[in-house]
Amino acid sequence: MITPSAYGWTESETLRQHLESRGVSRRDFLKFCGEIAVVLGVGAAAAPRIARALEAVKRPTVIWLQLQECTGCVESVLRTADPTIGDLLLDLVSLDYNHTLMAGAGTAVEKAKQSSMAANKGKYILVVTGSIPTKEGGIYTMVGGRTAEVLVKEAADGAAAILAVGACAHFGSVQAARPNPTGAVGVRDIIKNRPIVNIAGCPPIGDTVTATVVHFLTYGRLPAVDGEGRPLFAYGKRIHDQCTRRAHFDAGQFVQAFDDESARKGFCLYSVGCKGPATFSPCPIFQWNTRTSWPIGAGHPCIGCTEPHFWDTMTPFYGRLPNVGGFAVEQRVDTIGAALAIGAAAGIATHAAATVYTQIKRRKATHQVPETATEPENQDG
Amino acid sequence: MSATGAARTGARGSRLFGLGRGLSRERGNFTWVYLWGAPLRAMHWVAAACVVVLIVTGFYIGRPYFMTSGEASAHFLMGRVRFIHFTAAAVLMMTGIVRVYWLFAGNRFERLPALFPLTPKNARRIARTTSEYLTFRPGKEPGLVGHGPLQQVAYTSLYLLVTVMVVTGLTMYGQSNPGGIIFRAFAWVPSLLGGLQLVRLVHHVLAWAVIVYVLIHVYFTIRSDYIERVGRVSSIITGGLFVSTDEKYDDYDIDEVPARPWPGSEYPNPTK
Repeated sequence: MITPSAYGWTESETLRQHLESRGVSRRDFLKFCGEIAVVLGVGAAAAPRIARALEAVKRPTVIWLQLQECTGCVESVLRTADPTIGDLLLDLVSLDYNHTLMAGAGTAVEKAKQSSMAANKGKYILVVTGSIPTKEGGIYTMVGGRTAEVLVKEAADGAAAILAVGACAHFGSVQAARPNPTGAVGVRDIIKNRPIVNIAGCPPIGDTVTATVVHFLTYGRLPAVDGEGRPLFAYGKRIHDQCTRRAHFDAGQFVQAFDDESARKGFCLYSVGCKGPATFSPCPIFQWNTRTSWPIGAGHPCIGCTEPHFWDTMTPFYGRLPNVGGFAVEQRVDTIGAALAIGAAAGIATHAAATVYTQIKRRKATHQVPETATEPENQDG
Repeated sequence: MSATGAARTGARGSRLFGLGRGLSRERGNFTWVYLWGAPLRAMHWVAAACVVVLIVTGFYIGRPYFMTSGEASAHFLMGRVRFIHFTAAAVLMMTGIVRVYWLFAGNRFERLPALFPLTPKNARRIARTTSEYLTFRPGKEPGLVGHGPLQQVAYTSLYLLVTVMVVTGLTMYGQSNPGGIIFRAFAWVPSLLGGLQLVRLVHHVLAWAVIVYVLIHVYFTIRSDYIERVGRVSSIITGGLFVSTDEKYDDYDIDEVPARPWPGSEYPNPTK
């Protein structure tokens, strides 16, 4: 495993020269290219092309802005599935600015960022994690005395590509949940005139970040995205349709409580609120923490963190449907529905009884039906 | 469902559980008016069956109330239930297509304009019908052979309700094939409602609305049969109503020759 090295990748070196100087065999490099090709869904045949493109790459600059966030996304990216190459990539891009990883601090670092952005104008990759607060002039997140909004706009200006990594940069995540006290929004709400790739998730799987960067380095453009701006190679399918527990769903085998027999047998988590049917994410395939496991694999229902506003729309996390507010008490839809149906039935019964009563009265009164004037066919009533 | 065609009396009472003792059967002159075409009636009953199937299977999908045991490979319960649900939904959509066709090919009681009785007079009629329902007093204005405006508003609302059900249902159905025609055609729905879970919620809430609707619908048609005595329930089977020729109707000139006689029946038609 190669850890971030003492000597860096110099400006003039190509990636191939640099890898050789660091003792990475060509075999390892091609293996990485093959794996990335699979992650990107372009097929192993594209691996040579990726290799050729990456070999020739001059050290790309990455500016990583960390705004209103919890640093979880950086932690996730640090745990990319293929540690040798994942760290290598992190090491090999010139990560000129990242709060968590950089050693320096203060004015010097801010200055370094400015000079790096100026030197690589139009060429650097901008990675944003964290949302942008907009209320009160955006004072809820300030770095070096400037608001997140100003920082993002400035950095986006000279960026070749913009990656909004994580739910915060995507739509604002938990701080944007109702009532969103800081007015937190995602990058796409601030930067409207530039294509933005949303690496959705809270946090996203690190591999999707590295794969997107590699895609950009290889093809010179960002990967194809869905309506949410998420790369299709990773977010093209529902968790539900890739799930290792799907057979139990189709069979009608569901966990009812987290400690029941069904849970021990690994049945489907649908009844305990799994949002897999509403969530597009590569979790079942890529998995987490160097492919150790993933939430549903570990027995926890999906909370739908790659979907916009999931804190509002996917909650309760352990219920099938969103709660319905009413009379200050949160009620299940079925409770309200059943109450309405029973109420309607009771209303109908009452109305029917009243109708019959008034009709009998009216007909008797209007037409003076003689009690004796019955006909034979009425006798059996 | 306006409570007109007021009661005419006879001495004979209904025999149903003796409840109707003292009630009357109709006497007077009647004619059979043909209102609802065969496609409309067929569509109604196929759709009704579909709705029942959809509600039963839909509740299973929403909250599975049966479990299977043993190996997952030995069962396909949820799979089958979903298959039935989707198939019934497809049939329901076909009935919708028939209805849309009949909006243009049907008679004036069935055509598109009839679905929107939006006139001031009808607004007053709706208010009057509502008050009749609340006070149990029949109105004095001439009745209608076709749907009353309140009834029509309710039926038109059901068409809209079912349309929303179909749209939200197709949206969820399309998710299994991202990029497919259905997925792309309904991509606007989750963004409009604020996410797939909200689509799911709307679908679920409206399922309850349909249940409540069916209860009220069945009640009011049976009630109308009981009060108006025109055979309102059987009209969606046979296509026609027995209406009194002694009354005046706003939407039907009863002195005109009735559409056609009661098929195969020796029911005396005194006006002829």
